[in-house]
Amino acid sequence: MPYPFLLKIAAVTLWRSWRATAVLSFMIVTAVAALVFLSALAVGTNDAMIRNSTGLFSGHIAASGIREADVAQLAMPGVSHVLVRRHLPVILRHNSLIEPVALVGIDPDREQEATALPGKTVAGRYPVAGEAAISISQDTADRLGLAVGDAVTVADGQGVGLKSLTVSGLYRTGITQLDQGMAFCPAAALPAGAASVSAAFFLDADTPLDTTVARYRQRFPAGTFTPWTEFMPDLKQLIDLEYICMAIVVTLVFAIVAVGISCSFLIFTLKNLREHGIMKAMGLEAGETALLLLIQIGLLTIAAAALGTLAGTLTTAVFAHTGIDISTFTSHNQYFAVSGILYPRLTGEALLTPPLVAVVFGLAASIWPIVYIIRKNPADILRNF
Amino acid sequence: MLDLQGVSRHFISGRGHVAALHDISFAVEGGQAVVLTGRSGSGKTTLLNCIGTLDLPDAGAILYQGTNICTLSSRQRNLFRRRQVGFVFQAGNLLPWLTIAENLQFPLELNGIRGAAQQRRIEELLAVFGLSGYDKALPAELSGGELQRIAFARAIAHAPAILLADEPTASLDSDNSRRLVELMLALCTARGTMLFIATHDQELAGMIETVIPLKDGKMETRP
Ligand SMILES: Nc1ncnc2c1ncn2[C@@H]1O[C@H](COP(=O)(O)OP(=O)(O)O)[C@@H](O)[C@H]1O
Ligand SMILES: [Mg+2]
Repeated sequence: MPYPFLLKIAAVTLWRSWRATAVLSFMIVTAVAALVFLSALAVGTNDAMIRNSTGLFSGHIAASGIREADVAQLAMPGVSHVLVRRHLPVILRHNSLIEPVALVGIDPDREQEATALPGKTVAGRYPVAGEAAISISQDTADRLGLAVGDAVTVADGQGVGLKSLTVSGLYRTGITQLDQGMAFCPAAALPAGAASVSAAFFLDADTPLDTTVARYRQRFPAGTFTPWTEFMPDLKQLIDLEYICMAIVVTLVFAIVAVGISCSFLIFTLKNLREHGIMKAMGLEAGETALLLLIQIGLLTIAAAALGTLAGTLTTAVFAHTGIDISTFTSHNQYFAVSGILYPRLTGEALLTPPLVAVVFGLAASIWPIVYIIRKNPADILRNF
Repeated sequence: MLDLQGVSRHFISGRGHVAALHDISFAVEGGQAVVLTGRSGSGKTTLLNCIGTLDLPDAGAILYQGTNICTLSSRQRNLFRRRQVGFVFQAGNLLPWLTIAENLQFPLELNGIRGAAQQRRIEELLAVFGLSGYDKALPAELSGGELQRIAFARAIAHAPAILLADEPTASLDSDNSRRLVELMLALCTARGTMLFIATHDQELAGMIETVIPLKDGKMETRP
């Protein structure tokens, strides 16, 4: 029996009994579409957590111990923003109250461009370049009894007053490292002293993290460059966990769908049992019968998986455009400190895994009906009609 | 030549031990037509199945051109069926999702008859059976008589040596039945095909010279 004819029979049978085919495919189309979208949503959630966590202040790569001489050389292709920050340990004093903080000299314009921290100002405003102003956290303000517009004394470790700065604004992030022990002022307003230089690097969406870190380490051996995956291992684990959960979901869904397909396909083949009996009587061999059924279920699952992928992609495209606002569920979550809007995103893996798994499970599901038909004697099949 | 020697087939079923065929012996020449008669349950289908290698006798031998087809491997029996045998069943012979032309194509593809030869053969068959222009129709669109004619056309499409028809006229009126059997007889005689028809219709049985009457699985001597 030539394969083209088997292929033709398989195809026209599916095509001409399109109602049964549609019912059989429905489950696969739905499962694949749902899983493509779900995978895209998982990627989008991870994106949002990374964007929120790195975008607030730290960037994708945090560097410390940068030499003054290297500051001007930090730009690199694929790196969208380099924010240089100078840290000086000081004591803030107001009336008789004191609070030790790391005062960070920043470039307010560039910080506003790249980070979300300026947007976390709850009273007053973020300092402007050149101004003798300071932005402190709501916590620090409460402890020092400060309000917007008050003057605060910046003193060194021995308590010697160095400078007086005006509180331009108060911020609150909900993240302890930022809300306690830090304050920000324009670089020019930072008192003279032995400040250490750090830098935050923001990468373009498609810039690989690890190779960029490696390149910086190689170029500036004196500095310490840390990717977010290392300084936020909790987030890294959370994301890995999400991928594992996703893999389990995909496998479970398809194990269930496979049982469903197998049952439906057995019913489908039983419905055509007489035809199989006649074909065997005409001399169609076991291998050819198996191939016919395999082609049939293969065509069915491939078409259904393609359709499901298309549906999932379209759904993803719609939500990637509008975004999904889950702020209500994330307002107390540090990984969503900036925004609770998810943008589902399709990666190659998210796009290909569900249809591939569907086809593999679909073919596995054809074994049962194939074995059933092959073992059945045509005389017995034809006797019962 | 087909030679049956002491063919027996027993079944163990809910009714106990059933001798569906008991010690059947006869010989048939190419081009000869044989009618198997007998009441329902007399063993007609079982005998046709044994000749067509869909079933195996428990005892006896069926020699085709000197070879015992009962001792062939299942693959060889499959090939024997494919090349040498055509089946016509009571009803529902055609594959419902294939057109008439595709149904006729099936045994031709199985036997390696393709391309222009295949096309010619299909057109010729449709013409002989008065069904030209039906090639794109689906079986559901045809009448019972037309369906049985196509079933017969498909059974002889690959020019088998043996044609087995199990109550081929059971779903037809007497006019259609008579015409179908006449067509079968004429074509099989002309082509040298052995024809076996099982029927309980006495009128049809009268149309064929060689009658093998079965009763409870045994050959009856004609009264
Ligand atoms: N697979 C089977 N299992 C049990 N009994 C069978 C089987 N096939 C046939 N028989 C029995 O064998 C006898 C002959 O059956 P069959 O050849 O179908 O008769 P006919 O075709 O003349 O009506 C019947 O009694 C039938 O019940
Ligand atoms: Mg019968």
